[in-house]
Amino acid sequence: MISDIVNVIFCLGNCVLLVNLRRMRLEKCWFCSSTVYPGHGIQFVRNDAKIFHFCRSKCHKNFKMKRNPRKVKWTKAYRRLHGKDMTQDSTFEFERKRNRPERYDRNLAENTLKAIKKIDKIRSDRASDHIKNRLKTGKVQRQKEARKQLELGIHLVKAPLALAQDSSLCLPKIKVNVSQAQTEENQPMEE
Amino acid sequence: MVQYNFKKITVVPNGKDFIDIILSRTQRKTPTVFHKGYAISRLRQFYMRKVKYTQQNFHEKLSTIIDEFPRLDDIHPFYGDLRHVLYNKDHYKLALGQINTARNLISKIAKDYVKLLKYGDSLYRCKSLKVAALGRMCTVIKRIGPSLAYLEQIRQHMARLPSIDPNTRTILICGYPNVGKSSFMNKITRADVDVQPYAFTTKSLSTAVLFFLDISGSCGYSIAQQAALFHSIKSLSMNKPLIIVCNKTDLQPLDGISEEDRKLVMEMKAEAMKTVIGQGSEPTNEEGVLLTVSTLTEDGVIAVKNAACERLLNQRVEFHVALPKPRDQKERPACIPQAVLETKAKQAAEKEKRKTEKDLEDENGGAGVYSASLRKNYILSNDEWKEDIMPEILDGHNVYDFIDPDILLRLEELEREEGLRQEEEEGDDFEMDGQELSPEEQEALAEIRKKKSMLIQQHRMKKSTAESRPVLSSLGLDPSLAINRARSKSRGRKRERSVDRREGDDGDAMDIDDNQASKKLRLRSTSWSRSRSRPPSEVVPGEGLKDSAQKVNAIKLAKKSVLKRNKNARRGEADRVIPTLKPKHLFSGKRSIGKTQRR
Repeated sequence: MISDIVNVIFCLGNCVLLVNLRRMRLEKCWFCSSTVYPGHGIQFVRNDAKIFHFCRSKCHKNFKMKRNPRKVKWTKAYRRLHGKDMTQDSTFEFERKRNRPERYDRNLAENTLKAIKKIDKIRSDRASDHIKNRLKTGKVQRQKEARKQLELGIHLVKAPLALAQDSSLCLPKIKVNVSQAQTEENQPMEE
Repeated sequence: MVQYNFKKITVVPNGKDFIDIILSRTQRKTPTVFHKGYAISRLRQFYMRKVKYTQQNFHEKLSTIIDEFPRLDDIHPFYGDLRHVLYNKDHYKLALGQINTARNLISKIAKDYVKLLKYGDSLYRCKSLKVAALGRMCTVIKRIGPSLAYLEQIRQHMARLPSIDPNTRTILICGYPNVGKSSFMNKITRADVDVQPYAFTTKSLSTAVLFFLDISGSCGYSIAQQAALFHSIKSLSMNKPLIIVCNKTDLQPLDGISEEDRKLVMEMKAEAMKTVIGQGSEPTNEEGVLLTVSTLTEDGVIAVKNAACERLLNQRVEFHVALPKPRDQKERPACIPQAVLETKAKQAAEKEKRKTEKDLEDENGGAGVYSASLRKNYILSNDEWKEDIMPEILDGHNVYDFIDPDILLRLEELEREEGLRQEEEEGDDFEMDGQELSPEEQEALAEIRKKKSMLIQQHRMKKSTAESRPVLSSLGLDPSLAINRARSKSRGRKRERSVDRREGDDGDAMDIDDNQASKKLRLRSTSWSRSRSRPPSEVVPGEGLKDSAQKVNAIKLAKKSVLKRNKNARRGEADRVIPTLKPKHLFSGKRSIGKTQRR
C-alpha cells in the first residue's frame, strides 16, 4: 500500500529516475462535512498552512462570510453539536487516516473491501436508529394526545346511544338493508 | 586571479569635479522642498539625511577608487616591478593611503554632525550645521586633489599598457633600435608591429631572449656598443635560454667582420652557452646559440624562430617521481589487497553484463512505445501480487483509511455488538406498538378532527364584523334618521351654538337662540357660509358626555394619546434607514469661498 507521495527510484543506465505516485483521496468539506470527490470543489490554503476543502461554492461563500458552521443549521457540524446526528460510535474508529504505508497484501486488501461494506451498513443502521430514538419521545407524546382527543371528542361523531351500545372508540357502524330482489336483477347486467 | 585588464578601472575625477558631482547628486536625490513650520523632528531628519547621503556617496566613490587600483603586493611580480619602474611604488602607495584617510575623515565628520543635528532646535541651526558638515567634507576632498590627479594619470597610462599574461611563455626580442627587430617580427608573424618603447624586467617570466645584433653596423651603433649593451643586460636574462641573432647578413656576412668584433661576438656566444649548460644535462650544438639572419632576404628567419621555440619548450619544468634506488635484485612490486582486486574484477564484469532499463526500453520500441514496469522490483510476500490494482476509493470512503491487519477481528467484535444492540431495539419497539391507535380508532379520530375544524369555521362565519353585520335597509328599516343624526354631528349649525342649553327647554331655547343668533347673523355678512364650527367645549347631545368640563377633559386625553412625533423624514419610529450613506454633495466638490478642511 503506497501512501501519499512515494518516490520510486530506480536506475535507467546511468541516470536515476524519480517518479511521484500521488494517490487520490476523498476529503471532507470543511463547512458542511460532505465528501469532496476529485475534480470538485476548491481548496483554500491559509498563510499558516492550514488547508480548507470546500465541496461547492455555497460552502466556500459561507466560509468567506466568516460564518461558523456550528451555527448553520444544515451542516453536519451543527447536527452533531445539537445531538441531531450520532456523534460517538465504534464504527468511526475504523476509518482513521494512517500516515505509515503498509506493504501490499492481497488478502488484506480483499478483507478490507468487504469489511468496508459491512461497517458502512452497520454505521448507517445505527445512525438511523439514533434519529428514530430521538423522535420517539415526540411520537409517544403525539399518540397520547391523539388518544385523549379521541376520548374527549367521540361525542361529536357518535351518538351517546350508539356509544352505550358499542363502547369502543370508533365510528358507529352503518347498517344498510340490502334487498334480495335487487341483487338478482343486477346479476344479468354484470354478465 | 586578478585579470590584468587595467582598462576597466573607473575614471578618477579631479578634486573640483568630485565635489561638484557629489553635491549635485545630493541636491537631486534628497527632498528639497521644505517649510519652516514643520515639526522639529522632521526638520532634523531632513538635514541629517542630507549629511548622511553626502557622506555615503563620498564613501562609495572613494572606496571604488581604492578597490580598483591594484595593490602592488597582490599582483604578479612582473606587474609590480613594471609598476615600480613606471611610477614610483612609494608615491603610489601614499596616494592610495591619502584617499583612504580622506574616506575615514569624511565618515567621522558625518557622524559628528549627525550627532549635533539631533539636538538642533531650529531650522536655521539645523541648516547651518548641515552647511558646515558638507563644507568640511568638501575641504577634505580639495586637500587630496593632487593625489586624485596623480592616480588619474596612472590609470590612463596603465590602460594603455598591453595586457600580458605573465604565465605564458614569451620570447623577448631585444637590441638597439634599427637593428631589425620589428622587421624580424613582421617576417615571422606577418603582423604589423608597432614599436613600443617598453621597459621590462624578465626576472619572473618564462622567456627566451633573442638578442639582435647588427653585423653590418648600419643601425648607427658599432658592434662594440652593441656588445656593451648585451653585457649590461645579461644579468637580467640569467638562466634563460639566450640566442644571439646576427642580423643584416646580406650587407655583411658573419665571417667578414673584423677580428675585434669577432672576439666580442664570441664572448657573447660564450655567455649564451652558459645558459644552455645551465638548463639540462643534454649538450646542444652551437648552432642553437648563435644564428645568422637576414630579414631582408628572409634567410634563416625560420631557423631562428624554431630554435627559440625549441629552447622554450625544453625549458618546461618536469616533476620527478622519487624512486628508491634498488639495493638488490629482489623484486618488490606494489601491494594490493586481494579483496580489492576481486571487487575490481567483478565491477568490470558487471558493467559489461548488466542489462539496464534503458536497454530494455530500446529493445521494446523506444521511449514512446514502451513504458517501464515500475512494479518489477517490488518486494511482496507473494510475487503474483505485483501487478495488482488496488482500489483507492469505495462507496465514498478512502480504502487506505480502513487498512488494518486486525480488521477481521475487529469486524467480528463489531458484528457481535450489533447483534446485541438489534435485539434490544426490537424489545423497545415491542413496547411501543401497544400504544398505537387501531385503524378504526384512527378513522374516528380523523372524523372528530374534521368535525372540529368545521365547527370552528362556522363559528368564524357567525362572528359579527362590520362587513358581516346586516345593513338597516336590508332589515327593512328607514335609515334616514340615522343618516341625519350622523351628518348633524359633522356639520355646525347656528341654532345649536349656545353653551348652556337645557334638554327640557328645547323649543324655547331654540327660539331664544334663534333670536339671539339672528341678531348676530345680521351683524355679520350674510355672504359667508352658514356653517360655523362649534366651540370645542360644547357638548352635543348623543355624544355621551356629561358636561363641557368632561368634554374638555376627554379632548385633552385624546390629544395626549396621539402625540404627533417628529418623524424627521422617517416612515415610522423604527425606520433607521439612511438611504445614502455618503451623499455626493456632502463629500465632494470644492467650495467657492473658504476651505474644505473638514466635511
